[in-house]
Amino acid sequence: MSSLEAILRELRRAARRALGARYAAHAVVGAVAWVAAVMILVRLVPFERRAELAVLGIPVALAIAAAAWLMRRPSAALLMAMADIRLGLKERLSTAWERRAESGPLDDAQRHDAVQHAARASLPAAFPVRVNRGEATLVAILAIFALALALLPNPMDQVLAQRQADRVSQARAAKAVADAKKKIADSGKPSPKDAQIQKILQDAQAKIHEADSPRKALESITPAEQQLQKLADPGTPALQSSAQNLANALSGTAAGRSAAQAISTNPAKGAQSVRDLASQLQSLSPKDREELAKALAKASQQAQNSQMRDSLSKASSSLQSGDAASAAQALNDVASQLDSLQEQENTDQAVAAAINGLEAARQGLAAQADRDANGQGGQANAGVSPSAGASGNGNGNGTGTGTGNGNGSGGTGSNGSGTGSGSGAASTERIYVPGQPVPGQSENDPTPLGPGQDVPLSPYTQVIEAYQQAALDATDQSLIPGSERDLVREYFSQLGEPRAAK
Amino acid sequence: MIAEEPRVDATRVTELAQSLETELARLIVGQKALLRDTVIALTAGGHVLLEGVPGLGKTVLVRSLGQTLSMSFSRIQFTPDLMPADIVGTNIIGDTDGRREFHYQAGPIFANLVLADEINRATPKTQSALLEAMQERTVTVGTQTRPLPSPFFVLATQNPIELEGTYPLPEAQLDRFFFKILVPFPSEGDLLEIARRTTGDSTPQLKSVADAGAILTAQRTAREVPIAEHVLRYAARLVSATHPDRSELDSVRRYVRWGASPRGLQTLVLAGKVRALLEGRYNVAFDDLNSVAQPALRHRIFLQFEAEADGITADRIISEILEHTAKEPASK
Repeated sequence: MSSLEAILRELRRAARRALGARYAAHAVVGAVAWVAAVMILVRLVPFERRAELAVLGIPVALAIAAAAWLMRRPSAALLMAMADIRLGLKERLSTAWERRAESGPLDDAQRHDAVQHAARASLPAAFPVRVNRGEATLVAILAIFALALALLPNPMDQVLAQRQADRVSQARAAKAVADAKKKIADSGKPSPKDAQIQKILQDAQAKIHEADSPRKALESITPAEQQLQKLADPGTPALQSSAQNLANALSGTAAGRSAAQAISTNPAKGAQSVRDLASQLQSLSPKDREELAKALAKASQQAQNSQMRDSLSKASSSLQSGDAASAAQALNDVASQLDSLQEQENTDQAVAAAINGLEAARQGLAAQADRDANGQGGQANAGVSPSAGASGNGNGNGTGTGTGNGNGSGGTGSNGSGTGSGSGAASTERIYVPGQPVPGQSENDPTPLGPGQDVPLSPYTQVIEAYQQAALDATDQSLIPGSERDLVREYFSQLGEPRAAK
Repeated sequence: MIAEEPRVDATRVTELAQSLETELARLIVGQKALLRDTVIALTAGGHVLLEGVPGLGKTVLVRSLGQTLSMSFSRIQFTPDLMPADIVGTNIIGDTDGRREFHYQAGPIFANLVLADEINRATPKTQSALLEAMQERTVTVGTQTRPLPSPFFVLATQNPIELEGTYPLPEAQLDRFFFKILVPFPSEGDLLEIARRTTGDSTPQLKSVADAGAILTAQRTAREVPIAEHVLRYAARLVSATHPDRSELDSVRRYVRWGASPRGLQTLVLAGKVRALLEGRYNVAFDDLNSVAQPALRHRIFLQFEAEADGITADRIISEILEHTAKEPASK
C-alpha cells in the first residue's frame, strides 16, 4: 500500500509539472491571441489605451491558466491509468490501485507485480514536461501577426489624434471661461449680478468640458451669451449719456467744475462730488447759483434718462426759485442715480468680460471644429498648440464701456479703449482689439483672443478696420451659418456709417 | 514492500500453458496464434470451433492435444447419417444373471477431450445433441441424466468451402462455442518444415505435460485474475459496439444484423484473464481483451447479406470496433 502511495505521489508531482507547463503554454497562446485580437480591434475601432488593453490580457491569461491549473487535480485512479497507458504497464497500476484494499487470491501478487514493474519504469516520464509543437507554432504565428499589425500604419491613429485635439481644444476653451470667471472675481468692482454671471460661466465651462466634440461644445456658448446679455441693463447708455452731459454742463461752472471732473472720472466719485455740491448750495453766491441752475437746466434738457432729467430739472428750478433745500435734495437724487450708474457699469463690465471669455472659447472650438470637418483635426492640433502659447503675449480684449455724448463724437473712456457709438445697444457690444503682433506675425493675421490678456489699448477708430477684417475672416472660416455672417457684415457696415459721417 | 506470497500459484498456470504450447509446437508447425487460442480456451474451460480448409492440421492439433494431456480422448466423425445416440450413447438390452434388461451404453462424448470432426456435416438434430451436452455438461438418456467427465473440452472442426450437403450451425448453437478459431494456411517456410517433419521415417512423439487435475486448477486460478473497472467497461463497450442499434460505426450499422450476446462479454473477460496469466501478469489489460476479441466475437456477430455481397467479414468489423473504441482511463 505504502509503495502504491509513493508511486501516486511521484505521479502526482510529475502530473502537476506537466499540467503547469501545459497551462503556461495555453496562457501564452491566450495572451498572444489577445494581443493580436486587440491589434485587429484597434484598426477597426478607435481606442486610445491600446497598449494598456493589450498588456491587460497577459496577466489575465496567466491568472486564468493558473486558476485552472490549481483547480484541476486529476484523481489517483486517473493518474494510475494514464501512467499504465503511457509507460506500457498493461493496466497493472490502475488495477492495483483500484483493488488496493481487496484481498482476493491474486490481489497481493498483482499489487506486488505492479509495484515491481513501476519500480523499473521512470514514472515522471508518464507526464513529461513538453511544449506542444502546434501551440508553439500558433504562438509564433500570432506573435508575428500582432507585431506586423503594431508596426503597420493604423488608420485609426488619425481619428485618435483628432479626438486628442478635440479634447485639448475643449480644455483650452474651458480654461478660457475659467480665466474669465477669475478675472471677474478679481476685478475689484463687484456688481450685484456677479453671482449670476459666475453661475452662467460655471455652467458653460462644465458643458464645454463634458461635450462630446468641439461642435457640441460650441452649442453651449450661444445660450450662455444670451443669458449674460439679459443681465445687462439696456438703460445704462442713456444714463451714461445723461451723466456725461451733466459733467459737460457742470464743467462750465465754477461751483460744479470739480463735480464735472469727478463724474468724468467715474460715476461713484461723481456721486460723492454731487453730494458735496448739494451740501454747499447754501454757501454759494447768487451768481454761482444762477450759473449752476443754468448748467443743470441744460443738462436736464440733454438727459436721455427720465429720472435724471426730472431730478436735474427739479434741482435747476429749485435753485432758480431760491429753494436751496429742495435743490440739495434733487442733487442728492442725481447722486443716487450716479451710484446706480456705477453699479450698472460694473455689471456691464463683468458681462462683457464673461462674454469675451466665451468668445475666446468659441474661437478655439470653432477652429478645431473646422479642422475636424476638414478631416485634419489631428494634424492641425500639433500646429495649434505652439501658436496658442505664443498668442498669450500679443492678444487681449479691449472691452470698454466708454462714455460718449450720443452723437459719436468720442469721449474719454474710463475703462478700456472703447467709445460709445451713440446707439442704445452699444453698451454690451464687444470690441476686440487685435494686439501687438508677435515677432514674425503680420498685423493682418487674425489672432485668437485670450481671456485675461492685458494688451495696450488703442482708439476704436484705429482698430475697427483691422478688427472688421479679422472678424469677417473668422466668420468665413468658422461653422457660422450664412445668415449670421450677414449679421456680422451688417454690424460692421452700420459701424462704418458714423465714421463716414464723421 | 509487499512480500506475501499469493495463495494461488498463478505461475504454475503460466508454466502449464507454456509447456502445452511447447509440446504441441513440436508437431504443429507455425500456427502460434492457433495454439495460443486453443490453450486459452482449454484453460478457460470453453469449447472451440476450428474452421479451416482440409489438410491444415485441425485434426492433428486436437489429436496432439489429447496426447499432451493425460485425459480421455475421443473422436467423432460427423456425417449426415450420424444419430444423437451415436454421440451421447443409448440403452441397449443386455443379459445380466439370466435377466434381460436395458443397459446404458455410453457414447464417445464421455471423454475429457472430444474431437467433433466436420460438425457441420451432421444433421441439426445430431448437432443439437452435442451442443446441448457442451452447454449443460450432462447427458440425458431415457430418464437418467449423467454428468460428463470434468474437464470436458470439445474441439469441433468445420470446413468453410464444401457447403454442399452440410448443415450450418444455427446462431444460438454457435454462441455456445467459447472461441471460433480460424486455421490459416501455413507460410512457405512452415510448409517446408511440415514436409520435413512428416515425410521422414519417424514423427515426433508427444509427451503428456498435464492431467485433468492440473487443467481444473488452472481453470479455477484463471477466474481469480483481477480486472480493473475501466478495463471491464472497455470490454462491455466492445460488445455493445457490435450491435447496430448501439454502435456509432457506419460499418456496424450497415452490415451487422445481430451483435454479440452477453455470453460474448463473459468469453472476452474470461479469455482475457487467461491470456494475462499466460503473459505472466496478474491483471487483465486492454491488450488481453484486444488479443482475444477476434476468436471470442467473430462467431457471435451475424452479418447482413449485404456484408457478404461486399466481402465484409466479421473479423473486419471487429477490427474496426477495436480501432474506434476508446480506452478511457478511470474517471474517479
